[in-house]
Amino acid sequence: MTLLLVEDDALLAETLTETLRLEGHEVCHLDDGSAARERLTAPGHGVALVLLDLNLPGCGGLEVLEALRAHDRATPVLILTARGAVEDRVRGLDLGADDYLAKPFALDELEARVRALLRRRSPAAELTVGPLTLDTRQQRFTLQGEPLTLPPREQRLLACLMHHAGTPVDKVRLAEEAFQGDAMGDNAIEVYVHRLRKRLANSAVALRTVRGLGYLLEAQ
Amino acid sequence: MTRGDSLSRRLLVWLLLPLLVLGSLMLLQAWFEARRTADRAFDRLLEAASLAIAEQVQWQDDRLWLDLPPAALEMLATDAEERVFYSLVDRRGRMITGNAELPGDDREAVSDDDTLLYRDVTWQGLSLRQGVRRTRLEDWQLREPFEVRVAHSREGRDALAAELWRANLAMILAMAALAIVALLLAIRTALAPLTRLRRAIRSRDPRTLAPLELRLPRELAELRDTVNDLLARMRRVRANQERFIGDASHQLRTPLAGLSARAELALRQDDPVRWREALVAMQATSTRTARLAMQLLSLTRLANPEYRPERAPLSLNAIAREAVREHWTACHRAGVDLGVASAAADVEILGIDWQLAEALGNLIDNARRYGARHVTIRVGEQPPSLAVEDDGPGIPAARRTLMLRPFHRDRDDLEGSGLGLAIVDGIARTHGARLAMSAGPGGVGLRVTLRFPGDTP
Repeated sequence: MTLLLVEDDALLAETLTETLRLEGHEVCHLDDGSAARERLTAPGHGVALVLLDLNLPGCGGLEVLEALRAHDRATPVLILTARGAVEDRVRGLDLGADDYLAKPFALDELEARVRALLRRRSPAAELTVGPLTLDTRQQRFTLQGEPLTLPPREQRLLACLMHHAGTPVDKVRLAEEAFQGDAMGDNAIEVYVHRLRKRLANSAVALRTVRGLGYLLEAQ
Repeated sequence: MTRGDSLSRRLLVWLLLPLLVLGSLMLLQAWFEARRTADRAFDRLLEAASLAIAEQVQWQDDRLWLDLPPAALEMLATDAEERVFYSLVDRRGRMITGNAELPGDDREAVSDDDTLLYRDVTWQGLSLRQGVRRTRLEDWQLREPFEVRVAHSREGRDALAAELWRANLAMILAMAALAIVALLLAIRTALAPLTRLRRAIRSRDPRTLAPLELRLPRELAELRDTVNDLLARMRRVRANQERFIGDASHQLRTPLAGLSARAELALRQDDPVRWREALVAMQATSTRTARLAMQLLSLTRLANPEYRPERAPLSLNAIAREAVREHWTACHRAGVDLGVASAAADVEILGIDWQLAEALGNLIDNARRYGARHVTIRVGEQPPSLAVEDDGPGIPAARRTLMLRPFHRDRDDLEGSGLGLAIVDGIARTHGARLAMSAGPGGVGLRVTLRFPGDTP
């Protein structure tokens, strides 16, 4: 699986190439917009993921994106840019980018996004958060290698949290997911979260409270 | 200034039109006057001729008899070669003698005495001036009234009238020409200061904002002063910008100098442990510098008065929740508990979502940086408000407004750029919101509140 990195800053490109290679990806680096457009508009470009800078010599990043999206909607694109404003992010996402990272970014953040995008491309049969895994086809959980059997509501709650691992999930959303329309009290979700916490205690997975908002599942 | 709408053209039209009307009236009046004068002069000839004829009328053989004196008719035929007619008519209207049967005059005579009536007549296709003298032969046994009718064509009169009128015409035209020249000169002189002002503005270096210095009449002096006021305001804005750019350059150069010095020092050393220390320090500094550059861009955009993004209806609860979602992980890693206190009902305002997100981001960042453990974003309903509360050291009341100035930092603040609150203040202003700082809940820490005007969409 080849990742295409389009970035004109030599130091940043070298560092990113190195980082992604160490992660086990094959990386092709181009430092020019026109070359990138040529590569991406060729039939069967064989690129699994594009990391795209917006300020490029030759041809702007957004144009490259447009040219790619004209014939290929599947290949995920991650935009890297120094233009920090949310406005530009909206424009990029409107043109069909899948994610956006503002420079400067932490390398772990980049690695996490790349992993997430590649995973989304081939819907994984397995979700993993630290020692916790979910076989999505059979809805079967495994914690530290041991099967974890859960009643249906807790199952749906945990699956939802795992799908959004690392980001806070709204309480209302969780209640909809877990109770599937059953009218439950406002505090019912807290009871189920409390139960899940007990089951996950003594493992490297934490279920955290986001005050006033909801909950978040993360590997410690 | 287009040709169609120029001041000088307007002035010229509005001054020339009355002049033209006046001139035409004068010409017309001169024409009538010339005719009247010519008629008066030639009517004397008619009078003399008719008198000469009347004096020659005699009573012979019980009837009127005339021995026409040639001089009488000659005096009516001037150089212009008019055609001359006369007739003698008795009391019953019969023509006694004459070379043409001229029509009579129906007008009543003013007195019974010898009278002369003039009028213009058209006779057999000829335009004539006619004089009718009513008189009578009188001696001790006879009292016989008769009329002498004399007429001549108008050539002489027209020639005289035309001559008189031409003399007037020349004078009127000369006056008109003089008036137009004076008019053009006056307009040019009156508008000259405008031309000077235009040249003065056009010849200016576009970079200078120095006031316009030239003497102008009162009306234009007001315009010049208005322009100078505008220039003064622009000078103040530019001075601000220049100070800001200077500060910004200083702020960016300082960490870059630090980075370069740290790298140089590390290269002089051989110990990998020292290298690692240097790299850690350099990473922190470069991250901070990048953030500073981003904040500078935000602030510049907010300070641009031309920048007016579209405002859309927004839910404050959603904005607050989104901010928590975005910053929770970073806060959690730094050991800060970030939470939200939504309003019970949904609060909507007109605003720019990404600006509010940036404002909240800056406030959360500040709270974290200054040592808060708990940070809460609170949404208020009446009036609509967004507040970020923390339990950090807070800011003494006296120093709070100072914090809004770009690049102002507390002495013990080594991390911050001093831009965060200035950006939040700028965003508040684009939203017409008021920024207030107070102590946090229980008198601890700091609460920064954005109170929006109640313009619910």
